Amino acid sequence: MGSLQRAAVSDDPWRSQTVRVAGKTVECPGITTYHLRPVDPQVARDYSFRPGQFNMLYVPGAGEIAIGVSRSLPPAVTCAPPEGDAMTLDHTIRLAGRVTGALARIGVGGTLGLRGPFGTPWPVELCSDQDVVLVAGGTGLASLRAALYQLLDNHCWRRLILLYGSRTPEVLLYQREYSLWIERGLQLETTVDRDHEGWTGNIGVVPQLLDRLMPLEPQRTILMCCGPEVMMRYVMRSARARGIAKERLFVSTERHMQCAVGLCGHCQLGPAFLCREGPTFRYDMIEPYLTVEGL
Amino acid sequence: MTLSDPPTPSLPQCVAQTLARLGIPAALLPTLVADLAPASEIWEFVPGENLFRENAPFAHLLVIDAGKVALEMGVPGRGRTRILSLGAGDIVAWSAVLGNGQMTTSATSLEATRVIALPAGRILALCESNHEVGYFFMKALAKAIGNRLVATRLQLLDVFSPHPSTVPLRSTE
Amino acid sequence: MSDSADSLWISKGELQRLIDLLWDRGYSVIGPQVQSSAIVYDQLRDVSQLPQGWTEVTSAGSYRLVRRSDDAWFGFNVGPHAWKRFLFPSQLTVATARQAERLREPAEGSEEDSATVWLFETPPPPQTSYAFLGVRACDLAAIAIQDRVFMEQAYVDPAYAALRTRALVIAVNCTQAISTCFCTSMKTGPKCEQGFDLALTELPTGFTIESGSARGAAILEQLETYPASHSQQQEAAARRRQAVADIGKHLETTGLRETLLENLDHPHWADVAQRCISCTNCTMVCPTCFCSSVDEVSDLEGVRVDRERRWDSCFNLEFSAMNGGRVRDDIRSRYRQWLTHKLATWIDQFGTSGCVGCGRCITWCPVGIDLTEEVAKLRTGER
Repeated sequence: MGSLQRAAVSDDPWRSQTVRVAGKTVECPGITTYHLRPVDPQVARDYSFRPGQFNMLYVPGAGEIAIGVSRSLPPAVTCAPPEGDAMTLDHTIRLAGRVTGALARIGVGGTLGLRGPFGTPWPVELCSDQDVVLVAGGTGLASLRAALYQLLDNHCWRRLILLYGSRTPEVLLYQREYSLWIERGLQLETTVDRDHEGWTGNIGVVPQLLDRLMPLEPQRTILMCCGPEVMMRYVMRSARARGIAKERLFVSTERHMQCAVGLCGHCQLGPAFLCREGPTFRYDMIEPYLTVEGL
Repeated sequence: MTLSDPPTPSLPQCVAQTLARLGIPAALLPTLVADLAPASEIWEFVPGENLFRENAPFAHLLVIDAGKVALEMGVPGRGRTRILSLGAGDIVAWSAVLGNGQMTTSATSLEATRVIALPAGRILALCESNHEVGYFFMKALAKAIGNRLVATRLQLLDVFSPHPSTVPLRSTE
Repeated sequence: MSDSADSLWISKGELQRLIDLLWDRGYSVIGPQVQSSAIVYDQLRDVSQLPQGWTEVTSAGSYRLVRRSDDAWFGFNVGPHAWKRFLFPSQLTVATARQAERLREPAEGSEEDSATVWLFETPPPPQTSYAFLGVRACDLAAIAIQDRVFMEQAYVDPAYAALRTRALVIAVNCTQAISTCFCTSMKTGPKCEQGFDLALTELPTGFTIESGSARGAAILEQLETYPASHSQQQEAAARRRQAVADIGKHLETTGLRETLLENLDHPHWADVAQRCISCTNCTMVCPTCFCSSVDEVSDLEGVRVDRERRWDSCFNLEFSAMNGGRVRDDIRSRYRQWLTHKLATWIDQFGTSGCVGCGRCITWCPVGIDLTEEVAKLRTGER
């Protein structure tokens, strides 16, 4: 189903590494990107990840959450990282519950635990000479952003397109980076569910951006989608209506992650452990299970 | 006009293209174009121009050829609210054919926009007298409205809404 | 023609010598005994603790101990305990977080902590050497299945690996079956074929015994063994055959995976859901279920936090909780998850069925749901 990658440094799946909060960027009210740096220089040197993978961030006493790594390192095509060229790992997190609430109370300089990376990455290697369409909704862009930077860096594609939607214009993430992305060849289309004063862009849902995308050569398109599951289902519907084969569509799924190593049973969807065979899937592999209610 | 410019399509050609895009079979096109083209028009709008107004009568079915249009509804006390934007290939003003001719929204161009305006009354008459034509027109409209309904439901579901147990952020952040 | 299971014989008294020998060597011997009207697995030092003369009578939702007409030491099958309670402990610390000294005090009035340095460690693996006495064939298969889950995937569970490599497995062949057994359907028994260090078959005055590993062979050499006589061999084989003859329950496994995965919306799931009360008993007594959750356990000052893993169950309401909701919000979807995982998707994940036919889930279901009957109804479409 997908390839496995062992977590950095430690063979004991439960061992966390100490990471320091090197910086915090408030993307918009309720969503913050944490720039994390391993305290142990050996760990910092040895850590590597592939776009689409996630870490388990651990706040002792509160618990752990699974967060996609949102920026590739060392930074290739990005804004300058917060403290010179030291390595940092971006994690964009929405304040949503007990663990993220505890995380929000950790200031710059504070520490937490990190285990990872885990999971099956985006198929960036399939993008050579293709029209790559990245489709993101809300905080789903965080996971695709890592793939986006890798693609901007290797420039192996024919076209690179990002279709991105959020609830309102102020919740569109990473706006300060858009001009940089466009400069490097990205075609960017955004939309919002709800209009706000001063917005002159699209109003409507993300699948409509795909419905309208012209030109489109389905046999030469690779599409990667990450966002709320309902949105992803309809993006897949639109993609199929545009004639893109299921083998060219990739989604990122979400279930409750706990151990992240396929041993606790929480993240199962059908035969897949999402922490292992996922979270990214080729659509035809996961569709039979995504479409069964309550599976 | 230099040699490298492509020839501007004529109005009948635009109408034919538009009807074909809607799914009208090729066999039916010649008679339809002959019937509709004389009463059809191509309209161009600059950004910020009004195409039609909510509750006002309107007699054309519009298909966007290029550009972007926003649909708006007026809510007393809230003013005009933009609810949806549409682009190339989208049908606008289906109420002209299916409703009682009164528009359910206003429409404003967001950028330089070109639309093909088909005569709604003539389309209705054609559908009544020729049920085969009627079937294909209604099918095209039903499909467009169906897609719009799904999109509207997704907007209604508010899939990006914050998690219900969100703790309010402190002002220091 | 003799079975290698029956080439050697030891007396009943020799079993006590074996138990003493194992304790001397530092093993914690665990064996069956009667507690609270059930035969459970607990520390065993003396053969008098064994359920001599007791047998079990089971049916869906019912378990009773009944006196036998003889005083067989192992004349029963399986109770509510599985060996997973020792190899995969129901509570275990898997990691610890400790605060190093603070670098500086938080700024006056600041809500944010910028000073705490957390250090993380994982505990050394457990050192206990268990000797399991009385492991049935179905449970040998269950242990092998959990070996695959915990030791043969990309990540190895360090505690399970440590306990498992140390554990000595002494199997005892079934000489009867109870009404809830269906190991023959799952091809896991009743005869013990592999996965043991020693295996015994009980006769009136002793046991036929064989070793299944170098470790077992070494222990066998310490015991007073005799070549089994022809009549002893025949008797042992006959008693094992009785176990086969006793089995009345059947689970049809042909095409079972496909049947379940192609019928995820079958109306029968709703029928089971009317009866299932989502109590999690089946997952607790199942010898292969491995779901767990981790809790944060903090000391009073909050400077040390242990991460404690405990058994969990896919039947628990919050097991599938995510983003403020639950993916499996009703009993129907939770029962379906359990059954399809156990009998179908387990095959995709681990190459075998997750069920060994021990029948515990049938016995210990308070409303008497029998998965072999539920599967049969899913196949035929009966309500």
